[in-house]
Amino acid sequence: MVIQINKGLENWIIEKKRFSVLNVGVGGQGIIRTTQILAWAALMDGYQVRTAETHGMAQRGGSVSAYLRFGPEVASPLIPKGYVDIILAFEISEALRVFNFSGPNTYFFVNNKIIIPPMVNQMGFKYPSNENLCQQLKNLLNNIYFFDADKLALKAGTSKALNVVMLGILLGSDKLPIKEDSLQHSILRFIPKKSQEVNRIAFQLGIEKGKSIRRELL
Amino acid sequence: MSMPYFAEEIPGKRVIMLGNEAIARGILEAGVVIGAGYPGTPSSEILDTLAKMKPYYPHLNIEWSINEKVGFEVAYGGSMSNARSVALMKHVGLNVASDAFMTACYAGARGGMVVVSADDPNCFSSQNEQDNRYFGLHALIPVFEPSTAQEAKDLIKYAFEFSEEHHTIVLFRTTTRLNHGRGDVMLGEIQNIDRPYGFDWDRARWVCLPSHSRVLRTKLLERFEKISNLADEFPFNSLKLSSEKINGIRYGFIAAGIPYAQLIDTLIDFGLENKVSILKLGMVIPPPKKLIRKLLSSVDKILVVEELEPIIENILKQLAYENKLVNEVEIHGKDYFPQQGEFSGEIYLEKVANFIGIKFEKNSIPDIKISLPPRLPVLCPGCSHRSTFYAITLLEKELKLKFINSSDIGCYTLAVYKPLECVDTEICMGGSIGLANGFAKIHSTENPILAILGDSTFFHSGVPALINAVYNQNNILVVILDNRSTSMTGFQDNPGTGIKITKEPGTRVVIEELVRGCGVPSENIWVEDSNNLNKMVEKLREAVKSQGVRVFISRHLCSLLEEREFRLKQIQIPVVKVDPSKCKGCLICVNQFGCPALSFDSEEKKTNIDQEICRGCKVCISVCQYDAIYEEIN
Ligand SMILES: Cc1ncc(C[n+]2csc(CCOP(=O)(O)OP(=O)(O)O)c2C)c(N)n1
Repeated sequence: MVIQINKGLENWIIEKKRFSVLNVGVGGQGIIRTTQILAWAALMDGYQVRTAETHGMAQRGGSVSAYLRFGPEVASPLIPKGYVDIILAFEISEALRVFNFSGPNTYFFVNNKIIIPPMVNQMGFKYPSNENLCQQLKNLLNNIYFFDADKLALKAGTSKALNVVMLGILLGSDKLPIKEDSLQHSILRFIPKKSQEVNRIAFQLGIEKGKSIRRELL
Repeated sequence: MSMPYFAEEIPGKRVIMLGNEAIARGILEAGVVIGAGYPGTPSSEILDTLAKMKPYYPHLNIEWSINEKVGFEVAYGGSMSNARSVALMKHVGLNVASDAFMTACYAGARGGMVVVSADDPNCFSSQNEQDNRYFGLHALIPVFEPSTAQEAKDLIKYAFEFSEEHHTIVLFRTTTRLNHGRGDVMLGEIQNIDRPYGFDWDRARWVCLPSHSRVLRTKLLERFEKISNLADEFPFNSLKLSSEKINGIRYGFIAAGIPYAQLIDTLIDFGLENKVSILKLGMVIPPPKKLIRKLLSSVDKILVVEELEPIIENILKQLAYENKLVNEVEIHGKDYFPQQGEFSGEIYLEKVANFIGIKFEKNSIPDIKISLPPRLPVLCPGCSHRSTFYAITLLEKELKLKFINSSDIGCYTLAVYKPLECVDTEICMGGSIGLANGFAKIHSTENPILAILGDSTFFHSGVPALINAVYNQNNILVVILDNRSTSMTGFQDNPGTGIKITKEPGTRVVIEELVRGCGVPSENIWVEDSNNLNKMVEKLREAVKSQGVRVFISRHLCSLLEEREFRLKQIQIPVVKVDPSKCKGCLICVNQFGCPALSFDSEEKKTNIDQEICRGCKVCISVCQYDAIYEEIN
């Protein structure tokens, strides 16, 4: 198989043989779809791909997570704790739930939005605030970046474009060894014709945001 | 609409497929004619996908059956008629089908017959995590298990051929990560099976009365023995031997399914993939005896990597004994890996390192305990089940009686949580009514006994238990939550909707007529709109206070489907608001009714309605005692 790698990540991916992404969030945020888009994009780049996803309860407002691994040689979907390359969190408390999946080389991208689970107060729990969660995460992790992707999606024209913004950020950050072309093609595959323009804008807004994060990284 | 990627006739094309799509694709490629099953996570998307293929492949004759036993029988009727047939279910579904299954395995297959059992280590969405590989040993039929989406497609395709060649039913076992994981798959040829279908009147084979069954049993044993001998050449089994020693010891591994894939990646991580011997099983039952003997005599220590029960491990120990190798080789399994749940990625790293005696330091940051309340799944905004359960809680308070709410499996089981706490039992589908029959024998009218279950569950296995209550005069109130859908597993239709899996019209079975036919007198049957709360309370009161077997049908379309329907027909969703001048901040709507669209502004001391997620069911208007919630009409 021809291994196509972009952006100077050759050593990384060849040494590791595979690249791992963990997507987390709340049912309805488009986690599964995002994972599916990434999987097709990786396929277009010639990689083997595996995912493992939470199905079923997703529409009932529960936590949703999806593993993705791709590379020239990958057999299985589950990522050992400490070996995730990228964690893409659509919601901040869900980010905290999986913090211990990250290791020294993990980049953590967090949509700074809190969705408080229904009934937590009635169950006698107190849900932490956005700021508190942000602080906890910062204390625990180094390579962590926060942004407001919902705002960018709205700016593009629809809250539904959240996942495309997130994908743009990932790409713009330059931490994802997938070609822009492939990702763009894959996104279009899953977007109905009438929403393609909005999503194209969302993708660009995401990429710009990702680039500014990349400057922070340097 | 363009043809979905899983239906395309382009052999060699590489696509990404969900495991369940890959299984459906394999079924299509094998030229299967009959597919039947009952929904259940993580298996449901297989038949859902076949339904999406059907418009392009009209020979596919598929259905959602009433339950797994009937689904199995439908498929088996196909096999008896020489057609390739498949029965699809989740692991516990095989318990329901097992009566038919156990004896059918005696008579075996004519047209290729495969039973798919989707197991669920970790109980991600199941009431237990039973290991259905045992069913292969129990019924004396082969069990196939794939480790990737590609292998799932190829292996199930092969399973039909194998089944026909050896006249055996094949059990195709998967686990959640296979079903609900995606992988790259290369499309294969779609086979065209060109042969006449039809029954053969072979009574000696299909009539399992004792004199026939004894003969069939002999044949079954012979068949299993033959398959057992063939296992060594089975194309999806493979043994890779290595004579390398690590610190003077030769190591071996055995695995199948997802654990095999995960093990391979782990060995690669440690650079060990060519330094150890590996036996990969595509057919886990019966095991390949010669390959195992070869492995046993080629290594010093073996680790069996299998989730749940130590089935392969025990077989291995038995074979070591039979081959007089007990003192030559150490066999490990459950002394390393747990017998419960799913193995996480890091468990593989840790246990393999442990086993081989290599140093492995965890890469992850310290596992600090974080305190974060759980995000539990909840009944949706506008869910009609909530309204029914709320009516039940109101009545319990009003009548000052403690109900026994014998319940069942479906979305409504989520009412076990606060604030409704209206689910007291949940064992298996249909169990609500069965158990209620028993409670009725112990408890007097001090504890009204309610059996609460969904429409699909009632059709699945509630009906016989209801007839039992009528016949034996067990005093119970059955509440059927008829949301016109099998919602929990993905909104499949059922006899109550009268729509078939293909979306073509079938014949609708009207629940109230069915109930009457079971012998429940008309005056003991109520049918109400779940979302008309006041009427619900009034009529439920009547039902609770009456005697005898009573059935209360609470009917309202699932709110997710209703929302879809509104959108399709461009109907405006009702806008429901709180009048802050009237809201007393009593919190009843938030704390006792508990719709996720309702929240409390603790500064203003008023209820808020989240317009983003409110589905306009209007039930909270009746919940409020101060008329503070209203529908905005413009
Ligand atoms: C024997 C068995 N088969 C299938 C399932 C999977 N299952 C869980 S809930 C459910 C359907 C429930 O539908 P319904 O009773 O209509 O309730 P709803 O979810 O619509 O509220 C199914 C099929 C199971 N748990 N056990």
